[in-house]
Amino acid sequence: MINSQPNYFQLIYRIIIAMIGVWFLSIVWPFISDVVLMLVFAFLFTTVLLSSVDALERKIGSRGLSVLAVVVILLGGIGTFIGSFISQMSQQAKEFSNRIDKETLTQEFKTLGEKFTSAMPEFLQNMQTSNGDMASKLTELINTIVGSLASMAGAIGNFMFIAAMVFIFTIILLAEYHGFRKSLVNAIPNKYFEVGLKLIYNIEKSVSSYLRGQFLSAASVAGMSVAGLLLLNLFGANLTLTFFIGIIAGLANLIPLIGPFVGMIPAILIAFMNNIGSEAAMAHMLFGVIPSPFFILDIILMFLVVQQIEGNLITPALVGKSVGLHPMIVMIALLIGGTILGPLGMLFAVPATGVLKVILTEIAFVRKNAHLL
Amino acid sequence: MKSAKWENIFKGWNRSESDTVLTLKQVPVFKDFSDKEFSELEKLIHHRTYSNGDYIFKNRAPGEGMYIIMHGSVKITIGTRADNENILAELGEGDFFGELALFDDEPRSANAIATSDADLLGFFTQDLMTLQERNPVLGQKILFNLGGVLGDRLRGTNSLLIKAQSTRPN
Repeated sequence: MINSQPNYFQLIYRIIIAMIGVWFLSIVWPFISDVVLMLVFAFLFTTVLLSSVDALERKIGSRGLSVLAVVVILLGGIGTFIGSFISQMSQQAKEFSNRIDKETLTQEFKTLGEKFTSAMPEFLQNMQTSNGDMASKLTELINTIVGSLASMAGAIGNFMFIAAMVFIFTIILLAEYHGFRKSLVNAIPNKYFEVGLKLIYNIEKSVSSYLRGQFLSAASVAGMSVAGLLLLNLFGANLTLTFFIGIIAGLANLIPLIGPFVGMIPAILIAFMNNIGSEAAMAHMLFGVIPSPFFILDIILMFLVVQQIEGNLITPALVGKSVGLHPMIVMIALLIGGTILGPLGMLFAVPATGVLKVILTEIAFVRKNAHLL
Repeated sequence: MKSAKWENIFKGWNRSESDTVLTLKQVPVFKDFSDKEFSELEKLIHHRTYSNGDYIFKNRAPGEGMYIIMHGSVKITIGTRADNENILAELGEGDFFGELALFDDEPRSANAIATSDADLLGFFTQDLMTLQERNPVLGQKILFNLGGVLGDRLRGTNSLLIKAQSTRPN
């Protein structure tokens, strides 16, 4: 009875402190969320690039030059990719606008609507609006997308600012990583030193192996998507920009659950743009049975096959073991991440949960062995 | 009054690098290292400050690596109370201890307690693994030297055992 009283007060004290902490964070969060996000991104990029910088530093003996070389190579690669993608995409759009007029487009949408409606079971057909409505709605949708491009300019400006800050933070972290790490380690009290050191090492290992696994699986999705699109071209799909579509699909794949579907969109758009007006493409049947105008179902099926190979063979081998989380936990983490930060939250949800797992495991270990520390 | 916590945080501000390398050069685990290799090792080494009477680690605690004494002294003991404390070794500047933890996940087999204010250098399993990834040749050199140190210790133990057996009355 005597012993339970201090514990009771301690519990109330801890709850009050935790509530004050949560309240304080909720007040401060809107002001610091952008910076925290930038730092998290910078940390993730640093984790990915660190081994390359370290390896180069050993060769040339200068940390600064190594960081510079890695950053220049990375920026060069990204710049070349975006530049050639934009130039080829604008070329593609120019060709498309030269080839098509509004009447033809509306007619194509109408025919497309008819094809899909006729392929549906009867009860679903009854639920559909008329074909004419579908055509006008699709045209309206395209007009809305074009109209909202202007408002996207502001968002792009904001994105550029965030990207520039992440870039600067990444350079600083890459240059000073080992120094920062050492300062962090130095701040650990003697009593918890070895446990703290192990915790930091395990967090680094968990994050870096997760990221490397994710990038490898993204690369495999990109490679398989390019191969799949080229295969579809052999059957007359007339898809261009296959390399870029593959890379976009690979990058989109980094965002769990919704990413793979986002990756299909550019391929479907390109198939539509390249094949509009072609009777053969409009009349195409998947496996000669299911109507698949503009090869849309072929593309979706190809991406589904790629996702199955990636999800069931590649990711379990490369990523699954690195984090070791139950699929249920992954789903919950994705939902929470998506609710808090949207797609970015989904991107970080799994590694953040992995880090949390490492921290909780070490805390449990410390509690169990507290008498030995 | 010196606070070990603040000493640990701010020690890098006025530390002389040559002190660290001079200490490391006395340790057989790092023998035959070039200056460049010492400077690479120095980046990984952790500096810790302990006050007189502080535990560096306790018997049966999980062990992560070895310590090298830069300044001060340390005693290695078994037993938890003053009345049953058995001092196994008293170590001074340049001596090292806890190196077995670099090889295995077994808990510590003794206590290490600072017997004066002490500055220690720590080299841990994680550092060895990092070094093994970043510079495998250097990592291998350390492992080879550690093997030699452990071999020497085993030979020493064997000769003590033989001596003890030969002096035991039949």
